[in-house]
Amino acid sequence: MSVRTGVAPVLSAALPVMLGYVTIGIPCGVMEAEVGLSPLMAFLLSASFYSGAGQFMMSSLALVGTPVLSMVASVSLVSTRQLLYSAALSPYLAGASRPLAALFAATVTDESFGVNLERFSADDSWNATKATAVNLMSMFSWALANALGAIVGPALAIPTAIMSFAMTSIFICLLACREWARRTVVCAVASALGVIVLKALGLGSIAVLLGALVGVVAGILLGPRSREGAGHDHE
Amino acid sequence: MTTSDFLVFYACVLLVILACRCIPLLALKGRELSPRVSDALGLIPPAAFAALVANDLFDPSKAFSWEPLVAAVAVLLVARRTGSLIWCALTGMGSYALLTLVL
Repeated sequence: MSVRTGVAPVLSAALPVMLGYVTIGIPCGVMEAEVGLSPLMAFLLSASFYSGAGQFMMSSLALVGTPVLSMVASVSLVSTRQLLYSAALSPYLAGASRPLAALFAATVTDESFGVNLERFSADDSWNATKATAVNLMSMFSWALANALGAIVGPALAIPTAIMSFAMTSIFICLLACREWARRTVVCAVASALGVIVLKALGLGSIAVLLGALVGVVAGILLGPRSREGAGHDHE
Repeated sequence: MTTSDFLVFYACVLLVILACRCIPLLALKGRELSPRVSDALGLIPPAAFAALVANDLFDPSKAFSWEPLVAAVAVLLVARRTGSLIWCALTGMGSYALLTLVL
């Protein structure tokens, strides 16, 4: 992999996600220290779970003394949206070896899903190796930031809401940079409304998964892509 | 949280996370998908990003707050103009901090 054709594009794709993970990983590590995790445990947990939402939820539930089975159910439900990402990415991994595909799949997050999907659809040279490199670099930045947060501990007062807005901003960018055909807009609006309604009904833990499915169904009901002309969505 | 509780939690959740991440991709990889399935898969990204944004911006259990919405509009403008994830993240954090801490 040469610098110009390999490393540079991977760094360019991974850097925004890595910076975002550092800003949000440190407060996540601070919360994990409050639960009793050592910096090494925070690192290992972050490198294997690799789930911001899941780890924040774990800490907040543990701090209020939630029974372990309820914690398992809550964090598992939050993670179910990964089913959609995994399915959506499958066409791009057709030529990859099974171990590489498994490593790639095991390290996909909300953010790396968006970044890699954008590259797969816009860059013919983007492949499973580069995509996995983006995932792993992002993962290490997340795990290191968590370990750093666990080292610093509660001494560091960080406004988590502001830090986590970096991730929200990344999602907004990934959404806004798509071609806004009528079908895409209907799909996105239905999805957002679905999430709001589900959260209002107290189903916050599965709101993202079910809300996204509502959006997909709305898009399907609106008719196939060919009616609007192919190519406005890259996937 | 005791050590045994943590280990049970860790093992169970890790299993679920890996299954959710790996099974669909490995099961569908390399298969010829019908146009309907491909079409549905193509709708997942906008649906997922919209769901994630809505999940972050709206919380019916809390009082309505306009700061994140205004910051989101600022990010939207930067996104349409630059398409840069870094500029969007910086704009988002900066504008949200300005709105909540300064104003």
